[in-house]
Amino acid sequence: MIDFEEELKKFHPSLEVEDAEEAIYNQDLTDMADILIKLTEKTKTEEE
Amino acid sequence: MICYKCGCRLSEHDFCTGCGADVSLYKRIMFMSNRFYNDGLEKATVRDLSGAIVSLRQSLKLNKNHIDARNLLGLVYFEMGEVVSALGEWVISKNLRPQKNIADDYIDMIQTNQARLDTINQTIKKYNQALLYCYQDSQDLAVIQLKKVLSYNPKYVRAHQLLALLYIVAEEWEKANRELEKCSQIDANNTTTLRYMKEVEHMLMPEEAAKGASKKKAVRENVVRYQSGNETIIQPVNMKEPKGISTLLNLGLGVIIGVAIACFLILPGQIQNAKADINKELRAVSEQSDAKTATIDELEQKVQKLTDENAELTAELSSYQGTDGTLKATDGLMMAVDAYLKNPDDIEAIAAYLEALDEEEGAENEEGSQDKTEAFTALYDDFIGLIGERLVNHYYNTGYAAYRADDYETAIPNLARAYQYDHTNGDALYHLANSYRRNGDEDKAKELYAEVIDNFPDTEIANRSETYLAEINNAD
Repeated sequence: MIDFEEELKKFHPSLEVEDAEEAIYNQDLTDMADILIKLTEKTKTEEE
Repeated sequence: MICYKCGCRLSEHDFCTGCGADVSLYKRIMFMSNRFYNDGLEKATVRDLSGAIVSLRQSLKLNKNHIDARNLLGLVYFEMGEVVSALGEWVISKNLRPQKNIADDYIDMIQTNQARLDTINQTIKKYNQALLYCYQDSQDLAVIQLKKVLSYNPKYVRAHQLLALLYIVAEEWEKANRELEKCSQIDANNTTTLRYMKEVEHMLMPEEAAKGASKKKAVRENVVRYQSGNETIIQPVNMKEPKGISTLLNLGLGVIIGVAIACFLILPGQIQNAKADINKELRAVSEQSDAKTATIDELEQKVQKLTDENAELTAELSSYQGTDGTLKATDGLMMAVDAYLKNPDDIEAIAAYLEALDEEEGAENEEGSQDKTEAFTALYDDFIGLIGERLVNHYYNTGYAAYRADDYETAIPNLARAYQYDHTNGDALYHLANSYRRNGDEDKAKELYAEVIDNFPDTEIANRSETYLAEINNAD
């Protein structure tokens, strides 16, 4: 049986057009390649 | 693939030929990113948009610079009605690769049409308002708002899901089912949609069982699905091709229905048209007939009139012609006149013609012929006036001589003519009466004796007539 309140919690307000700019700026674009590069540089620094 | 350190194009080796950096892990990450992208693309192709989002986001987590994955993710968001999310991905994509990027076109498509952008904004605002109504337990208002949202953006999956949830809470299972069906058409394998559909079907199943839904379920299961190229064919398992007899039966039924339609729909109309045409022709013919009847009546009247005129003229002609077809009356008088002109003293010939004339007149009178013309009468009167005295003398002398000779057959007509031409000749009348008496015709004698007494009173012949009359009466 579906619980309305629980299901409702899963629905979040949509971003409006005016909020899109802020959302894009706040987006974290770090990917695995960046992490790998950081790890590699850290390892190299530690070796040195 | 380029080196993350120096930007040099990488070869098949696990190190960069430009800077010597170890790129084995890096390459593996790139390959995995591509693999997730391919998976996302495949899912998007079959409308598993939720699954495509997961794969594409995973691809971008591994390689944020995967422009194709980011553009595709934007497209998937846009298809699900998440316009702002789609715009965000396209904007980032454009920033990562400003040149030769299809994200430019996608952004222009939305931003250049201001009305469309306003509509999108209104849609999002209304959705958020509907969500607020749900939190405030004003579910009816939320339903109204969501219906408006979906009228602006029919592909907004979350709005469909929220509306379905509200219908489920209100136990309007059919409506919920319809909304979830629409969600499935947009995003086939959405988990939330599938979960709600399971709940709805579970609630709908008891009602359908009462209507024979188990059969429907069994029917659902008895289908064969297979792919034929790009198409999915769903065919019932026990479907049989129609046999010849059933085909013929259906054909016959179709023919019967067609004939029935023709009889009850088409034929009456045609009959009506034909009747109207016939009536029109009938009216025209009737009018012609009436006109001709009137003409016939007129001609019949003319014919009758002409027939009557002909009869009159024929009778008039007959009166002139007599029984043998000759104009005897006029001829007789003219011959008498001609005889007189030739020899005025030949009284016998003249008398003979006049006798013939009298006989013809007597026959015409018996036949009831027409009156004489004025010219004929005038001529006759003048002619008699001219020879009347001599004629009377001729007839009287002849008659009296015959009377004396006891030739009463000769005496009677002569004495009668004598008296006819001269009514003052009492002796002719007296001797005529005696002739009748001596001839045995006492009735005629009595009549003449009476005439003598009346016309010639106080004369000797009147006295004698009285005597003879008394003798005759006494003898009766």
